[in-house]
Amino acid sequence: MKRAELLSRLIVTVAVVGVVGTPLYLWSRTPIIHARMAENGGWTPDVIQAEAGKPLHLKLTSDDVMHGFAVGQMDMEAVSVEPGKVTDITLNFEKPGIYTFYCTRWCGLNHWRMRGTIEVSGSNTDLKPASPPLYVSLNLDIDAPHDATVVPNGQPSVSNGQSLAMDNSISLSHEEYLASSPFEVFDGLKNSSLTEEERWDIVAYLWQSNTTPDALANGKQLYAQNCAACHGENGAGDGVFADDLAATGEASMQTMSGAENMMMQTPVDFTDSARMLGATPALLQGKILRGGMGTGMPMWGSIFTEGQIWDLIAYLYSFQFEYPK
Amino acid sequence: MSPRFLLLLFVMAGLVVAFAPLPVQSVTPQERTIDIDARQYTYSPSELQVNKGDTVTIKLISTDVVHGLYVDGYDVSIEANPGQTATLTFTADKAGSFRFRCNVTCGAMHPFMIGKLTVGTNNWLYRSIGLATLAIFGTVISIKQKA
Ligand code: HEC
Ligand SMILES: [Cu+2]
Ligand SMILES: [Cu+2]
Repeated sequence: MKRAELLSRLIVTVAVVGVVGTPLYLWSRTPIIHARMAENGGWTPDVIQAEAGKPLHLKLTSDDVMHGFAVGQMDMEAVSVEPGKVTDITLNFEKPGIYTFYCTRWCGLNHWRMRGTIEVSGSNTDLKPASPPLYVSLNLDIDAPHDATVVPNGQPSVSNGQSLAMDNSISLSHEEYLASSPFEVFDGLKNSSLTEEERWDIVAYLWQSNTTPDALANGKQLYAQNCAACHGENGAGDGVFADDLAATGEASMQTMSGAENMMMQTPVDFTDSARMLGATPALLQGKILRGGMGTGMPMWGSIFTEGQIWDLIAYLYSFQFEYPK
Repeated sequence: MSPRFLLLLFVMAGLVVAFAPLPVQSVTPQERTIDIDARQYTYSPSELQVNKGDTVTIKLISTDVVHGLYVDGYDVSIEANPGQTATLTFTADKAGSFRFRCNVTCGAMHPFMIGKLTVGTNNWLYRSIGLATLAIFGTVISIKQKA
């Protein structure tokens, strides 16, 4: 009787310790990742090792303000990283490679510098060699000025352009769209009997026909989350950080002597017709992928998928053309 | 006049000032939109004045880090990322003074990021001013009478 009782007590104790203790032990062993504003060190550690096919557990906390965490090019919900709290997440990587994780909540002018890498090892090597981005294969100089020399006198009408394009059987294939600026297409129509206004209307329609409402909606959301703080909610280059960028730029002139094109600049105004109508989607893609290399424009290549970047670009043109909703 | 009668007069006047129902205010509720700039560690403007019944829309624009705005007493809140204006709409159906504060940890001085929302005219303020005037008046008179 006594022995049986003792035994059952022992079994219960072991079970309780096992059920509660094992996860607790494992939890305490997962490393904790600290987030700090970029000026104060960003992520520590900023390199994480993982293995393909095995879940990666992470604990995240912040030492100053609210940050966020997401992995670039991965379909995941961003999580908040808050001071005084620990956020647990589990990630699964199918393919080996180097992934970029980044902060998703604006934490100051240098927010976008808060990035780190996850090195995923594994034997799965069916990796497709990445094809070079379009701006490379088109041999574009994405830093050269590209202003359009003629701009419309007002907002072109997409619906008018649609009927004109139908009547004159004008269309623009997706390949042509990616490699041409609106101005080039406008200029290409100059030997027709159409007026300048009509030609711009057609261009607006052709641009709309190369995107979808879904793509625009997605681009709009990505823009609000990632670009509006610099480029402005309405695209006018007047985001809440625009002045700070200009001030940093002035300070950098003293330190980076001679490197004129390495200077910090103010964010581009996407409502500037000459600039946007002279830009090809391929050029914009190049700028977004590569960033400004010291101008203050972040590089987004490791963060967004190719599809997300095209959606963003379609949205950027909507500051020029009023697409019907 | 007997001092007792005077005292009674003042007490009555005091009661009237303190408790008499005011004629119902006939301000038609408005829709108000207020832009608030949030930066470490202030709101501008930080004092808001609306009438009871107004539909209040607050647009919170963060210009450095993520900030929030929580209105005590109304229990409503928003959170704004820089570059993404956040909008909060509520009906100011409770009169009085309410504190609003940042509910997103935004740095060392975060607990001091506060502001004030006043709904309706501050009747208690006017009433207490009235009472104070009465008291002063009464004292002056009673001193004069004794002299
Ligand atoms: C930290 C501020 C900042 C953020 C965030 C930012 N940009 Fe920029 N961007 C700039 C600055 C500054 C320039 C001008 C310098 C340059 O062209 O490199 C610029 C230039 C550009 C250009 C070049 C346009 C041209 O005609 O050459 C494109 C396109 C662009 N940004 C798109 C984006 C997109 C899309 C996002 C969001 C995913 C974004 N930017 C986020 C600061 C920013
Ligand atoms: Cu951050
Ligand atoms: Cu705050």
